[in-house]
Amino acid sequence: MTKTAPPEGSPDYAALIQSIAQRQDRQAFADLFAHFAPRVKAWMLRGGVNPTAAEELAQETMLSVWRKAHLFDPERAGASTWIFTIARNLRIDTVRRERHPSDLMPDPSEEPDAPVQADRMIAMSQQETRIRSALSLLPPEQSEVIRKAFFEDKVHAEIEKELGIPLGTVKSRLRLAITRLRAALGDLA
Amino acid sequence: MIVHHPSEATLAAYAAGTLPEALALVAASHLGHCATCRDTLSTLEATGGALLEDLPPVPLSIDALDRLLGRMDQPAPPPLPILNPELPAPLNRVALGRWWPVGLGIRYRPLKSSGAAWGGLVLAQPGRSFPRHGHKGREMTCVLSGAFADQDGKFAAGDLSEPAADHDEPPVVIGAQPCLCIIASEGMHLRGLLGWAQRMIGR
Ligand SMILES: [Zn+2]
Repeated sequence: MTKTAPPEGSPDYAALIQSIAQRQDRQAFADLFAHFAPRVKAWMLRGGVNPTAAEELAQETMLSVWRKAHLFDPERAGASTWIFTIARNLRIDTVRRERHPSDLMPDPSEEPDAPVQADRMIAMSQQETRIRSALSLLPPEQSEVIRKAFFEDKVHAEIEKELGIPLGTVKSRLRLAITRLRAALGDLA
Repeated sequence: MIVHHPSEATLAAYAAGTLPEALALVAASHLGHCATCRDTLSTLEATGGALLEDLPPVPLSIDALDRLLGRMDQPAPPPLPILNPELPAPLNRVALGRWWPVGLGIRYRPLKSSGAAWGGLVLAQPGRSFPRHGHKGREMTCVLSGAFADQDGKFAAGDLSEPAADHDEPPVVIGAQPCLCIIASEGMHLRGLLGWAQRMIGR
């Protein structure tokens, strides 16, 4: 596998997930758990989940990481992104008793020729690094709507009320933020 | 060729997991057709990953890992069965009710899932107008086959309509084929025959 080295000093979490897939590596799982479980718990708490449920959802997320490690494709998503989507889907399932459509999709491994576009075949750990730096450079009002959208399990109409700005402004700030985030990845494509 | 896409706000809600299931299924039907929106979605999900990564960690109880290690040999739950092989993913795995006539040349088949939004399939014959939806909250339609037109233009397979609240002209099926759509709305009070059907069926 060709990939860019992860940032200095941080373990290669994608490699840890692959190590679980290849040889049920419990040490790799423990390392992933130590890093991600407390972050998933923090994300659940920000979304208004009570502490007991947040703890359980963090554990369920990591159990899914163990079970689904063979479905992880580092050319499609970085480790944090993949774990985020698992946590997101479990939160929907537990809190709203609904499902995210991605849980209704066939496993990529069952797809005869799952389309990975050539221009997406980039090291996704590099994508995550660029997104993080682009996020830190967003103007505060754009960063605020993005964070609220992801952390607070709020529909945009609630963001509108909370910030006291019109819904159109919430949407245009989101649009500007997304354009910048996409642009940050533009020269990777 | 896809012309009509969901708004960035809708894609952000889909990525963040805050879009109600029925609306998310309409968005997913578009995403299956649209590489541009899949690309935006992948950026947004990477944003979720980056935000997760940057959160100050909140420790779990001291024995959390040990308790989990004890459960890791339990088998994973089986994948969800395909219920409607005639429909594209993800609609093929969704529970649907029966078809209901809701007017001349129009049939409606509700999603069985309950949630913050309701939805279903609508099949309309050539030349027919779709019933108007309610206009409380968000509303979305994605064409699965055939085509319709309204004041925003022509909508063919994969196109997604997300009309503004003041959108009043009913869409009309164009071309010689019937038009099959997946629709969803947060508005609980529908007008006309679809509203009647909704009350009869109880979602
Ligand atoms: Zn699109």
